[in-house]
Amino acid sequence: MRRALSVLGGIGTLIVLWEGYKAVGGLTGDQWPATPWGLPVPTDDLTMPHVIDIMRTLGRPVQRGRDEILAVFLFKAALSTFWKAALGFALGTVIGWSLAVLMLRSRLVERGLLPWINISQTVPLIALAPIVVTWGRTTFLSDSLSVALIATYLTFFPVAVNALRGLQSPRPADLELLRSYAATEREILMKLRLPASRPYLFPALKLAATLSVVGAIVGEISAGVRGGLGRAILEFASRYSTAPARLYAGVVGAALLGLAVFGLVSLVERSAGRGAGRSLAGEGT
Amino acid sequence: MMGEVTPAVTVDGVDMVFNAGSENEVVALREIDVTVQRGEFVSLIGPSGCGKSTMLRVIGDLLQPTAGSVEVFGQAASSARQNRSYGMAFQSAGLFDWRKVAANIELPLEIGGWSKPDREARSREMLKLVRLEDFADHYPWQLSGGMQQRVAIARALSFQPDLLLMDEPFGALDEMTREYMQSELLRIYSELGTTVIFVTHSIPEAVYLSNRVVVLSPRPGRIHAVVDIDLGPPVESTDSAKADEIRERESFFEMTTQVRAALRSVEAGTPGRAGSPGVADG
Repeated sequence: MRRALSVLGGIGTLIVLWEGYKAVGGLTGDQWPATPWGLPVPTDDLTMPHVIDIMRTLGRPVQRGRDEILAVFLFKAALSTFWKAALGFALGTVIGWSLAVLMLRSRLVERGLLPWINISQTVPLIALAPIVVTWGRTTFLSDSLSVALIATYLTFFPVAVNALRGLQSPRPADLELLRSYAATEREILMKLRLPASRPYLFPALKLAATLSVVGAIVGEISAGVRGGLGRAILEFASRYSTAPARLYAGVVGAALLGLAVFGLVSLVERSAGRGAGRSLAGEGT
Repeated sequence: MMGEVTPAVTVDGVDMVFNAGSENEVVALREIDVTVQRGEFVSLIGPSGCGKSTMLRVIGDLLQPTAGSVEVFGQAASSARQNRSYGMAFQSAGLFDWRKVAANIELPLEIGGWSKPDREARSREMLKLVRLEDFADHYPWQLSGGMQQRVAIARALSFQPDLLLMDEPFGALDEMTREYMQSELLRIYSELGTTVIFVTHSIPEAVYLSNRVVVLSPRPGRIHAVVDIDLGPPVESTDSAKADEIRERESFFEMTTQVRAALRSVEAGTPGRAGSPGVADG
């Protein structure tokens, strides 16, 4: 309840800042009050549409002659993007975990693999996405699956790095204790390392969830996949000069989708962490 | 008569060298010979860095000695560990935050493949032994330090190991709790008849608990002296407060003085009291 209020408060503050900035610019002719310096962004309605106009656009038909209003259109687009992102998130989580367990098994693998995992994230997604889509078309992959793979690419990284940190978090004394019981490596993983990694894992999953949305949208744009938020944003951007409020509506839609997946993971965290109490609430950083 | 029975622990000519051959080579233990009889309570004491924790880990097969051998109930230490002969307790209780108290006690039983009803029955029994029946469903962080340590002891003893290895288990507790825990440990020890090897740097603790105190010298850790502890007739009471009467006996002061003298001579570098390392009194 308090969290919902603080989210609403945040949105309210943003709206006030946006409209306040517009109002000041309108009064001073786009200059800082009582100075000769210009504002960084002009405040006319083309550059910064009114919040109320953005909201009104949501209620209007997407195209002349169609019944569907923009809000419904965006919701469907977000849903389409969501499934690709979700698949990418799931794949990325599994791959990230597997890599972490693999690196845990041997220092040699860790030393060999970790630099490549880091390097993988320096390749710009914009460059990579068309390659994945092109390769996908030469094989059996549908474009939607290629988009999911692009989301996977962003997702696996925070999961792998944080899972490894979490799996390595038990103290030497805890490991000695299990060795003194003649526990197998598998038992040490299941009974000690996995539960000990929980506080590290959920922040990584939240990050991965939002990244999967970014990956899916960028993937949709590069692949030219229809039906998703990426395509919608691309189209709205090309018609920005006649209907600026629409692009903003698309951006808001993307942000809301990101928030939604973040909230979903938080919900899972809360139900998984019930009773585990302090290790999640207190030590998770 | 004792000689006929296989001792609990035989440490024979153990050397422990870390980073052998490199610049930062550390000789942690040198020519250690110790024999611990079944049912004996032996403390290892010495200045910090003397290798007493290392010695405990060598006995527990958590470290492989550079030379020499360790036998536990007639088996090599590695087989003893595989056969789950060891219960261990460390300075930090080391309870798992995500497990309730009862589940922490059941951890070694899960690994040992016990059935669920057996595990539950045993953890109830152990909680009774350490007098924490009402805390089965608490999480470790809801307990005081002394209570956590009692849970750790219950966990170490839950599968009835032949040998209990303890590394300064009461080191982080305040003095009052510490003395109480010592009495509790003695009570549990006399109820179960386990063999205990106990690392400490508290002289009164070693004297109060042990049949024998092994004094180690630092770097390289050698056995400097062995002091047999005789505090007179035991107190026949399960009441911890009454058991504390021992701490006021003349013999208790004599024994602490002896151990202290042995430790002083370690620091001074003179040979220790002419004890007979490794030979247990019958």
